[in-house]
Amino acid sequence: MITKSPIITQSPVLTKPERGSVIVEVDHYKYSNAVADTLKGLNFSISKGEFIGLMGRTGAGKTTSLMLLNGLIPHFFEGDFKGKVLANTMNTQRYRIQTLARFIGLVMQDTETQIFGITVEKDVAFGPSNLRYGKEKIHELVGKSLKAVGLSGYEKRITTELSGGEKQRLTIAGVLAMEPEILVLDEPTSELDPEGRLEIYKLLSSLRKENEVTIIISGHDSEEMLQFTDKILVLEHGSICWQGKPGELFSDVKLTESFGIRPTEVSEIRDHLSSNGQKENLPVCNSIDQLVEYISQSYCFKPSSNLALNSTAIKNSSQSDRPVVIKAVDLNFLYTSSKSALRNINLEIHKGEFVALIGKNGAGKTTFSKHLNGLLRPSFGDVFINGRNIKTVSTSELSKEVGYVFQNPDHQIFSSTLWDEVEYGLKNLGISENDRKTRVMEALKFVGLEELKERHPFTLGKGERQKLAVATILAMETEILVIDEPTTGQDWEGTKRMMTMMEKLHKRGHTILAITHNMRLAAEYANRVIVFANGQIVLDGPPEEVFYEQEKLQKASVTPPESAIIGNRLRSYGLEDFPVTISALVDQLCQKSHGEINVN
Amino acid sequence: MLIEYYPSESVIHKLDVRTKSICFITITVISFSFFSPLVNLFLVLSLWIILRNINTPLARVKQIIRPLMPVFIIMLLITGLTYSPEKFQMKISKEILFYLLPNKSLPFCLGGLFYGITLVCRIFVMVLASSIITFSTPIEDFLQLMKKMKLPYQMAFIIATGIRFIPTMQKKSEMIQEAQRARGSQIGQGGIIKSIKSYIPVLIPMIVDSLRMSDNLAIAMLSRGFGAMKTTTDLDEIKMHKCDYIISLLSLLILIAALRASSQNIGAL
Repeated sequence: MITKSPIITQSPVLTKPERGSVIVEVDHYKYSNAVADTLKGLNFSISKGEFIGLMGRTGAGKTTSLMLLNGLIPHFFEGDFKGKVLANTMNTQRYRIQTLARFIGLVMQDTETQIFGITVEKDVAFGPSNLRYGKEKIHELVGKSLKAVGLSGYEKRITTELSGGEKQRLTIAGVLAMEPEILVLDEPTSELDPEGRLEIYKLLSSLRKENEVTIIISGHDSEEMLQFTDKILVLEHGSICWQGKPGELFSDVKLTESFGIRPTEVSEIRDHLSSNGQKENLPVCNSIDQLVEYISQSYCFKPSSNLALNSTAIKNSSQSDRPVVIKAVDLNFLYTSSKSALRNINLEIHKGEFVALIGKNGAGKTTFSKHLNGLLRPSFGDVFINGRNIKTVSTSELSKEVGYVFQNPDHQIFSSTLWDEVEYGLKNLGISENDRKTRVMEALKFVGLEELKERHPFTLGKGERQKLAVATILAMETEILVIDEPTTGQDWEGTKRMMTMMEKLHKRGHTILAITHNMRLAAEYANRVIVFANGQIVLDGPPEEVFYEQEKLQKASVTPPESAIIGNRLRSYGLEDFPVTISALVDQLCQKSHGEINVN
Repeated sequence: MLIEYYPSESVIHKLDVRTKSICFITITVISFSFFSPLVNLFLVLSLWIILRNINTPLARVKQIIRPLMPVFIIMLLITGLTYSPEKFQMKISKEILFYLLPNKSLPFCLGGLFYGITLVCRIFVMVLASSIITFSTPIEDFLQLMKKMKLPYQMAFIIATGIRFIPTMQKKSEMIQEAQRARGSQIGQGGIIKSIKSYIPVLIPMIVDSLRMSDNLAIAMLSRGFGAMKTTTDLDEIKMHKCDYIISLLSLLILIAALRASSQNIGAL
């Protein structure tokens, strides 16, 4: 059975110091300009060759803990430090960071600041040449590391021209070239699309097997953590509040949630099924296969004899009776004369729709969206906003109709108070002072920041800054809202808050276009999903339709939400509906087990 | 300028960066030692022929020259009008073409015009010569050269990293501008003061972001062992070939000859 109570380990360390092991015994650590301790009573140990996942809320101390391991704390970030860290048998306080770097490789979140070389080859060579290795050896190491991360043949490529996933793999190669015994990665996947994310975990897993490297990774990727790691350490308020096998953590939804970690869809479905009083003794299911096998055995499905009827089950949630607010006709966009980013986009979006734009990075989602407020102009074809061709309208004029919330709030915040920040857009629109006051207040209230209106934006946390960015656009009271990757880099609670906010906006009557890699968001909140691939629209329809087009999704490198995968697998056992969310799937199954399913 | 390397198989591309630097110095010294436009016109012509034959885009050079055109015309007029004929040694230079004002005041003399042409040619020489050297030499070669000149490797690193970050910063600035334009700001529009003020919403996020990046950069450098040893391994070494020695020697001989000639008043106006 599952352990309900969290295992709190402040027990003496069991791992013996050997190469590749980590022993952390920190009494406390406080950043020099901070008021409170970031780490407090942090004790853990990691044995050679383990694959460790470090999880927890944003601000729990994950990055700080990882920076202990190669001596950045206390050498680079001097502060109030008391404790001892043994990494690879070396006391990190006694060695320079550069010396420790030879044995403990650190990959950070922001790829941009970790690439030094103009070409891929030069970048990977940066580490070993700092260590004065011989030329021959460096060439060998560069080749080996690039091969390990799957970038062989990229040697002469210019680093700034790589894609996000390639850049992240390059940063890993750069660290690998120093042949570390311990590889530490701080949220390396937060900027990647689901495909890129999975690749990183697969890569780490094979590295561990082949080179016996100890791997410590932090992140919010529940599914991958469950699938790939040996052990999860959960941080809260600067100390370990739980550690154990990933399966134990994720099979207990309440425990996972209490740490601010997103439960996997599979375990949530299992949890719902058991809490609905359906089956008392559900076995632990940690993979789709297990769950499908279990459901197919314990729920009596009638052999499906009427598959023909099934297609009518798709909800027709079309809003075609509402006026068209966005219309694209043969929209084409070329970056250069030969490289096209969008090809023959034809589409109509009606007032009040909640559209999720999905697809892998570089598929054209953002390029399309930037046409809506004129940041980009069509190379051929036309875009109409509320019936007006954008060709003749300036971006500042369009900003009255289309609000665009960018992914990184720090690319727009420049004022010294939240109030001024929100007011800026209104001043641009030439709104009178009285109107401005009410609008700013309303927008700040909506996102829940009205109390902080005199604060400096940079004293806020990332999640709050993101809310502020939304408020700045909200105040402009545009009918159409484009929100670019609203949940990227946020922990689960931040993601939930953002999703609730978008739902609220939708209910208020806004037409919403959300660019996202978060399939759960698309499935649960959007009433229309548009899939982009290679600059074209490959699928367009309600989530129940789109997420069951397995072949086309696969071609577009999109993985549907797990509920849809399970629903699809269960179809061969006679499931008739097209559930894409957890609740829809659970409802379906409950009806099944009560035998209430209506064949007609 | 430094990042505009265009790979090609031309002879100039194959020369060592040191050879090219010597030639560059020779050309610069010659250009500035002679006042007669003939010498500089000859240099401009030869450089133009070289540039045309090394398979690099001419459009870039034209882009630099085009906005300078009005400046060139102003320079010719000013030199023509401000140099009085007595200042020149050659007979032809003392000749007066016309007077700008009645009563024979403000003469426009041929010597002044020639001098103006020389000045304009010098600008051309500099633009062409530096274009040839940057188009045909990869940045790594320049860094190697700095190292050979015994400059500390940290300096070469700063330059290389700076160049590496130019596209990144450009992209950042574009993203910030887009974010502000989406809020209705009209960047760079309106009168002088208004247009300068309109850049504040771009500048501040840019500065804040750069500060954050510089911290991350320092962390990443340390994590890759920067500064672990006194020096670093050079991956590829620049090499002088036979052809490099010959050209360097020729270039030096020409330089000496030119300096002698100029000291004997050849090519004066």
